[in-house]
Amino acid sequence: MKLWGPLFFLLSVVSGVLSAESSRNKFEKYHSLSRSAPVDLNSASYEELVSAPRDYYAAVILTALDARFGCLMCREFDSEWDLISRSWNRGPKPDGVNVIFGTLDFDQGKTVFQKLMLQTAPVILMFPPTVGPFAKVDGDPLRFEFTGPISADQLYSWISRHLPEGPKPPLVRPINYMRIVSVITVLMGVVSLFTVLSPYVLPIVQNRNLWAAISLIAILLFTSGQMFNHIRRVPYVVGDGRGGISYFANGFQNQFGMETQIVAAIYAVLSFATIALALKVPRMEDVKGQQLAVLIWTTVLFGTYSFLLSVFRAKNAGYPFFLPPF
Amino acid sequence: MAQSSLDALLKGSSGRNTRGLLRILILCTIAAAAVSSRLFSVIRFESIIHEFDPWFNFRATKYLVQNGFYSFWDWFDDRTWHPLGRVTGGTLYPGLMVTSGVIYHILRFLTIPVDIRNVCVLLAPGFSGLTALAMYLLTGEMAPSPSAGLLAAAFIGIVPGYISRSVAGSYDNEAIAIFLLVFTFFLWIKAIKNGSIMWGALTALFYGYMVSAWGGYVFITNLIPLHVFVLLCMGRYSSRMYISYTTWYALGTLGSMQIPFVGFLPIRNSDHMSALGVFGLIQLVAFADFIRSFLPGKQFQKLLTYMVFLTFGLAFTGLIALSATGVIAPWSGRFYSLWDTNYAKIHIPIIASVSEHQPTAWPAFFFDLNFLIWLFPAGVFVCFQKLKDEHVFVVIYSVLASYFAGVMVRLMLTLTPIVCVAAALALSCILDNFLVMSTPKGAAQAKANGNESKSLRSGRNPLVGIYSYFSKAVVTGSVTIYLLMFVAHCTWVTSNAYSSPSVVLASRLPDGSQFIIDDYREAYYWLRQNTPDNAKIMSWWDYGYQIGGMADRPTLVDNNTWNNTHIATVGKAMSSREEVSYPILRQHDVDYVLVVFGGLLGYSGDDLNKFLWMVRISEGIWPDEVSERAFFTARGEYRVDDQATPTMRNSLMYKLSYHNYQSLFPPGQAMDRVRGSKLPTETPQLNTLEEAFTSENWIIRIYKVKDLDNFGRDHSNAVAFDKGLKKKRAAKKRGPPILRTE
Repeated sequence: MKLWGPLFFLLSVVSGVLSAESSRNKFEKYHSLSRSAPVDLNSASYEELVSAPRDYYAAVILTALDARFGCLMCREFDSEWDLISRSWNRGPKPDGVNVIFGTLDFDQGKTVFQKLMLQTAPVILMFPPTVGPFAKVDGDPLRFEFTGPISADQLYSWISRHLPEGPKPPLVRPINYMRIVSVITVLMGVVSLFTVLSPYVLPIVQNRNLWAAISLIAILLFTSGQMFNHIRRVPYVVGDGRGGISYFANGFQNQFGMETQIVAAIYAVLSFATIALALKVPRMEDVKGQQLAVLIWTTVLFGTYSFLLSVFRAKNAGYPFFLPPF
Repeated sequence: MAQSSLDALLKGSSGRNTRGLLRILILCTIAAAAVSSRLFSVIRFESIIHEFDPWFNFRATKYLVQNGFYSFWDWFDDRTWHPLGRVTGGTLYPGLMVTSGVIYHILRFLTIPVDIRNVCVLLAPGFSGLTALAMYLLTGEMAPSPSAGLLAAAFIGIVPGYISRSVAGSYDNEAIAIFLLVFTFFLWIKAIKNGSIMWGALTALFYGYMVSAWGGYVFITNLIPLHVFVLLCMGRYSSRMYISYTTWYALGTLGSMQIPFVGFLPIRNSDHMSALGVFGLIQLVAFADFIRSFLPGKQFQKLLTYMVFLTFGLAFTGLIALSATGVIAPWSGRFYSLWDTNYAKIHIPIIASVSEHQPTAWPAFFFDLNFLIWLFPAGVFVCFQKLKDEHVFVVIYSVLASYFAGVMVRLMLTLTPIVCVAAALALSCILDNFLVMSTPKGAAQAKANGNESKSLRSGRNPLVGIYSYFSKAVVTGSVTIYLLMFVAHCTWVTSNAYSSPSVVLASRLPDGSQFIIDDYREAYYWLRQNTPDNAKIMSWWDYGYQIGGMADRPTLVDNNTWNNTHIATVGKAMSSREEVSYPILRQHDVDYVLVVFGGLLGYSGDDLNKFLWMVRISEGIWPDEVSERAFFTARGEYRVDDQATPTMRNSLMYKLSYHNYQSLFPPGQAMDRVRGSKLPTETPQLNTLEEAFTSENWIIRIYKVKDLDNFGRDHSNAVAFDKGLKKKRAAKKRGPPILRTE
């Protein structure tokens, strides 16, 4: 009876050593599969990789790369994930910290997705070790949620936050020689094209009308709130709930894409009428024609301004001013 | 008889004098209108400093006036950013305070007994009169007819885009900076027209003044070099340009480096590199110009063009290399966020959280500029007609400033001056033609001048004039209508939107009479009178300056926002559970916590609406402890009612806002009028703080941080004991939670 205690103890030690042995083997096995890039997993190997006795960290991305799932973020992030794995495996690591990076595609791991009840992809799970110096009490994986497009730097800082203290390899983006070469080529091409074509291009570049048009269009775009559309990503038009579309957003701080275009057009008409009255009309030599032009442009100016005021009143309910027609 | 005397008055040299006198009279009237239209808030409320930042400027000015310039220069302020303090003298733009200090001392010298507060309140309106004058001078350089200058002065005097930052009481850097901006540009145009060292040096002098007054000086630092660069690319190099630019750059850079806050930035920061680059470029071009005298023209033209491109390329790569190696500091965040519009949102939430850094929707342009907004493109087009050096300046300024104004609401201020210039150019062009009494005598009179082939197509024919009185009447009449509407619009906007001090809120009672909501000052005076002189007040940074100025108590964070981590600490204390917050409060010696709550009154600018920014900012520093996601329900809604997430309901901010609020209503009827939602029946349980003061309309709520319990108990246990819940607690065996973590 007394023998049972030490025997039990011995057994447990042996089994612990054995399991440590097996998990060490597991690390070697998966690490040898791919020395730098993330390991491609399937359901079975995923289960084995994350199963209980492990003395390494396992970071797995559950993703859906195939085009028919239409997961844009999965495909965009795939290269970033690769980058993280390569950076980690290349640089110097803190002693005893082993990390396996894995990729589980939906096609290979349907059962895993079902088991975890995953509705979205990509998801990143990070399993801390269960044995060894860095073991966590509960071996539950940490989960990284994608709230939007994300860069490798953000995820990498998340991962290294959850790893033990120590020097970690920096995230290294490979230099894109192809891009540098192509940029230089394109630049040289443009310069030589410009040199060759300069007799034909220079008159265009020096054309004052062209520059005037560019400046005016830029000013009209900016003052009609185009930058707001760009930054806030507002919808182009929105339905009004009765089958039609509403052209103007409610509220002073809101606008739609089409609304800004209408406003830009209004401004353009008003400016053009002003330019005509200021510069064109006084240069007309025909008496009748001049009279007619003045009448037309003044009416256009008045009507459009009245319309602009009515639009502004619709946006800003308390605004008291208006001009007759609208 | 009357006819002849009028003739004598309007013709010849006495006519010129009469017109000069009239112009002066008109300008004085415009200045008077500009000043008086900014006095709405003083008349409606009282002579009071507005908003947030002005309170700091006011406090600094008081310090300057009381302690003299040198101790102001060395001022270390230990009553802000507790426990860090702030080297105030070296981290502010002193121009504003020094200006009002000088005015104050001059008035005192003239034995006019004036309070420094009144000098500060009326500084902005006073300078707006000067801005109108500077605008007259600037526009006068652009157009041959002086009517354009007068129109521009009238526009800038009352346009809401400028009034928004310069009403009486809005004692901020922009108050004097816009005058300096316009006047510096006027001097620059003068300098480049005349090529005189005197004008260049004057430009540098006012540029230095501008640097001392406002961080927006970077706009000038980049616009003038850009102007020169574009002129160089157009092949318009001249010795005038060389003289004026080099004078301005050398003297102006030296002058700007005298400000401690700017220091060596002009040679190290990328924001200033374009000025340096163009300075180098213009030396090369001057050298090339020197060579020209020895080379045949055609070869030289080629050489010049290539050199421009080559140097620009070299300078650009050099800039990139130096930035990459870290010799030059990278672009400052605020400046960078102008180009990459998503940069701020990702990297610097504290910049993105400020409402005046949001992009501008189109109604804001129309609201601030009214009909100038469509005269503006027309005016730029008019500039293209002659396209002299100064017109190029207008074009560049217009395009750049309208981009900036589109990206950030506050930069509407830099757009406004050029809009006034351009609109005045366009309108004066119309009025000059349509207000001439005499009728042209047919095509025979058409002059053959102005017929340059380079000019715009619409301006190619000779100027004839307007034949019929009817057309003149129609156009003049409609323009008069627009102008009158503009005046009405400006008055309406100023009186309705821009004249509220925001320290004092006004609302209307059902019978139409005015009701003043004075909760802020009530609470600040409560703090001033009921707390010890060095009681530390914690609040979100928006209210730091006001607490410092009105309550005169030390604060943890304020609107200077120089230390993001410290702000994030406050954000963490607000967004965590009491058990987490209390050690933070103790570690920072906090005595009182102040929150702004608008639920009772429907005041939407309260802390719960800003709460997500607190969460975001502290998440940036402690991503493991604070998570924005936890404040949203599973369906992604930000709620405060029964459905609110546990994190939300346990956060200190939520508890402080709604503590005891339910007792105002019949059971189960508590309503939050800002977020329009019904609140839970139970009031949040507060253990570590106790309510000290709540203002009349519940806008400001102040809580006292409890001291450690006398019996060494945990606060929640102590509160439970006081409520008679001891047995329930005692049944559970639990180790006493450790209060101090460090």
